[in-house]
Amino acid sequence: MNTNAMQRADFAAIANWIKPAARVLDLGCGDGTLLRFLAEQRDTIGYGVEIDDAGVLACVTNGVNVIQGDMERGLSGFADDSFDYVILSQTLQAVRSSERVVSEMLRVGREGIVTFPNFGYWRNRLQVMSGHMPVSDNLPYAWFDTPNIHLCTIADFENFCRDHGVRIRERIVITDGNAVTLMPNLFGALAVYRFERA
Amino acid sequence: MVGHITYLSDDEMASKFGRQLRHGRLNYTFGVEFEIESYLSHQADKFSDYFDANTYLRITKALDYFDPAAAHGGNLSLALEPATASFLVVSFTTDWRFSPERSREIIKALLDNRRNVTYAEIDAPHGHDAFLLDDARYHGLVAAYFGRVGAESGA
Repeated sequence: MNTNAMQRADFAAIANWIKPAARVLDLGCGDGTLLRFLAEQRDTIGYGVEIDDAGVLACVTNGVNVIQGDMERGLSGFADDSFDYVILSQTLQAVRSSERVVSEMLRVGREGIVTFPNFGYWRNRLQVMSGHMPVSDNLPYAWFDTPNIHLCTIADFENFCRDHGVRIRERIVITDGNAVTLMPNLFGALAVYRFERA
Repeated sequence: MVGHITYLSDDEMASKFGRQLRHGRLNYTFGVEFEIESYLSHQADKFSDYFDANTYLRITKALDYFDPAAAHGGNLSLALEPATASFLVVSFTTDWRFSPERSREIIKALLDNRRNVTYAEIDAPHGHDAFLLDDARYHGLVAAYFGRVGAESGA
C-alpha cells in the first residue's frame, strides 16, 4: 500500500471518476499517497483512516489529514452521507468483515470505490492449476505471510454486490497498466469499481 | 491523591508498585503500609507545597465547569464552527484523565465542520502523564506536523 502513485494504475482510474472538490474518505490509506494524488489532481477535501503508527506519521509528513483507528471497528466517528466517495484501495481482500466494511462505506459515503487483485486472472489460475498459491505483482505475498484473507474474483465481487443491495456504477479492469475489456475475469489483474446503494 | 492517580495508568502503577509492602509485612494499621501509599502521600506533600490548597480546589472546579459545548446547547460541532485552523489531536490509549473517547468527540465535531484535522491515538502505557514523557511516536508526530506547518508557511 506504500507504492508510488506512478506505479499504481488504479490511482489514475480513481482520480478520473472523482469530481473536483469532492469530499473523500480513504480507508486503510497507508502513507496517504492516494489522498495526496487526489488533492493535487482533483482538489479534493480528503481524510484517511489508518491503524498503523508508521502510516499515520507518513500521512502527516505528506500533508494528508488522517484519523488513526481501526476501520473494522466501524466508522461510528463519521456521520451518514458525510462523504462523496469512500475509497478502499487494495484493502478489501485484507479486511476481516467485508460485508460490514462495504455497508459502512455506503452509509458514510454517497458512493464507494474499491480496487482489488482479481483472483480469477489467468496467471493466478495457472499457478493454482500447477498446485501453488499465486504470487505476483498484485499478490506479492507467500501463503504464510499474506494479509489477504478474503481474495475474490471479479465474478465473485459482482455477485456480492447483487446480493448485498449494491449497484455498480462503473468498472475498470487493468492489467500491466492497460485497460482490459475482453473477458476481464480471465485477463484482468486488477479490478476497480465505483458503486452506490441500490 | 485521587487526582494524581488519574495522571497515571493502571498498568504503570501495577508495574511500578503492585502490592509491594513498605515494611515487608502487613501490620493492619491505618498508617502507610503499601509502597503505592507511600508514593502517593509523598506526591501529596509535594503538591501541598507547590499549590495553595484553595487555589487547587478552585482550578479543579474550573475544570468541572468547563464545557466547550454548553453555550451551543451541548452541540460541540456548533461550538467549533467558527474555527478555521488546522488541527492535530493526539490521545494516549491509557489516559483516563482525558480519554481517547473525548478526543474522538472533538474529531467528530471538526469533521462535521470539514476542518483539516489529523488524529493520532498513541499506544502508550503511561496514562495521562505520557504527554510529558519522551515518547518517540508522539514526538515524531508533533515534529512532522510542525515541519509541515513550517514548509507550508515558507518558514
